[in-house]
Amino acid sequence: MAALTALRGLLRISSRVRDTHLLSRATPSASSDRCLCSAARANVSFSDPEVQQLLKRVTGCDLQKVFRPTQQPTLRPPSYKLLTDQQLQEAVSLARREAEELLAPPPELEERVPVCDVLSHDAILQGADSAKLVFTDITLNIPHRERFVVVREPSGALRKASWEERDRVLQIYFPKEGRQLTTPTLFTDDNLKVALSEGRHEEVLRRSLVQFEPDAAEYKRVQRLVYEDVERRGSFDLLRSTRFFGGLVWFLTNGKRIDALLLDMLHRDLVEDAVCLVRLFHLLHPQSDSAQQASNTHTSGLDLIKLYCQSDSQQRGLIELALQTHQQATALSCA
Amino acid sequence: MAASMRSIGRLFCRTNLLHQSLQAVRPGHVTLPAIRSHQVGTPCMQLNRQFCTPVSPEKDVADTLDALSRYKDRPWEYLESEEYIERYGTRPVWSDYRRNHKGGVPPQKTRKTCIRGDKICGNPCPICRDPNVIIHYQNVKLLQQFVSPYTGLVLDPTRTGVCMKQQKRLNQAVETARDHGLMPLQVPHVDFSGQDYSNSHAAVGNTPPAPVKTSEPWYYWYGTLNPDDREVARVKKIYKDYLKK
Repeated sequence: MAALTALRGLLRISSRVRDTHLLSRATPSASSDRCLCSAARANVSFSDPEVQQLLKRVTGCDLQKVFRPTQQPTLRPPSYKLLTDQQLQEAVSLARREAEELLAPPPELEERVPVCDVLSHDAILQGADSAKLVFTDITLNIPHRERFVVVREPSGALRKASWEERDRVLQIYFPKEGRQLTTPTLFTDDNLKVALSEGRHEEVLRRSLVQFEPDAAEYKRVQRLVYEDVERRGSFDLLRSTRFFGGLVWFLTNGKRIDALLLDMLHRDLVEDAVCLVRLFHLLHPQSDSAQQASNTHTSGLDLIKLYCQSDSQQRGLIELALQTHQQATALSCA
Repeated sequence: MAASMRSIGRLFCRTNLLHQSLQAVRPGHVTLPAIRSHQVGTPCMQLNRQFCTPVSPEKDVADTLDALSRYKDRPWEYLESEEYIERYGTRPVWSDYRRNHKGGVPPQKTRKTCIRGDKICGNPCPICRDPNVIIHYQNVKLLQQFVSPYTGLVLDPTRTGVCMKQQKRLNQAVETARDHGLMPLQVPHVDFSGQDYSNSHAAVGNTPPAPVKTSEPWYYWYGTLNPDDREVARVKKIYKDYLKK
């Protein structure tokens, strides 16, 4: 028993040492979102402009899909305008700018650390009340992440509220549209499976964004389940041209499982997107063989994909076949 | 004399039937009391057999009981069955229903309920008239018939003809189905630009330890804070009329 506690203490100390070691090695970024890989690999974060540009290229911008008609409680009849060519171009460019804002990916953050600080322990208050009392600072002009929410336990301890308690209390005082106090039953495993089997991945992700904070454990879990299901079914086109494709690509590239996505892109003749994907892979895993060879030889374009499929891919044969068919198709179309 | 005897007999019969009907009335469905076989030999029973007329024929009761038991547990199967397709085809359940009311403009609320106890009204609403049509949150195909495909809102009862009690149950079922993710729900777009997720503030991060020197404030805002002059001037200007001179 004593040996067990000693071992646990040792592990805790060692983990703390490891964490501080990692923190000291990592370069501080303006926002704390870092990739989920260990600090031994590249210090590339999701919000880096280079990464964001690559993800934007890969997501694409299909205006027909972004501005497709949705169910709205108040409907207006359509308005028809007569435009010159230049006015039409201006309207299209305005639509593209709006689409860019709509396709901005939600932030990829690390899971939030549980809050369990006891501010004070007043034993004199023990048994004064049978229920916990939650005190919230409802000053209007402070951000929610700087708002104090504390809980007085019946034992007399005054502690900071946990993340779940914080979310619930902030939803009571500062309700957000669409968010519910209790988690909807959609996010249980069974119901998620049913919804994903019907192909409603985008809807599930949208609802999870509305319900949870981007660094909540629940959101991470739902996101992971949806992305894994997309990869398993190969239905990448469901999320293409939505704000979630960037997150999907980031998730797959971090886990080194980009083969299915690469194949899908090659089958749909999206060669530039495939090249961007491989470049992102090299950014995130610079220690891999293909990344080192690429940096040495300065390859680009289709050769980069060939280099990747020779060194690092698991489905080498399929990717080579797809590349061959694409090259033959381009040769035929040129000739 | 004979007529009074007959009426007494009918009264006996009805009270017996009420005692013997053990089946509970399911809300929204007509349940007819079961006719049990009487024991032979008692004079009271003989009297009943002579003068008693059953409340409804055996055949109807058996049919209703059968129907209730068939789709009660899996109400979505009815929408795939032949009898449904024969009766409704591809049209919604409420398409061939017409309300009866005086004048050109119908009352803005449909009737409160079609079924009160054992009695069903004349011209019952599309849900009450067919006991196989059961409102259940998993019966998505039926619920979709009562939701507008353009707005996503549940259709008004003045349009579908549904009674108010069933409309309330319909609303609850649609809400449950959307909660479970069986029916689509439109959510607003969430904007994440310009928000700080660093969690470095003391409200959500680690509490700094209490200062050793008691003169130092624990958090910087515990000490004296000088307000921004521009903010003060702005607030004073807004509440100029209320400030004491």
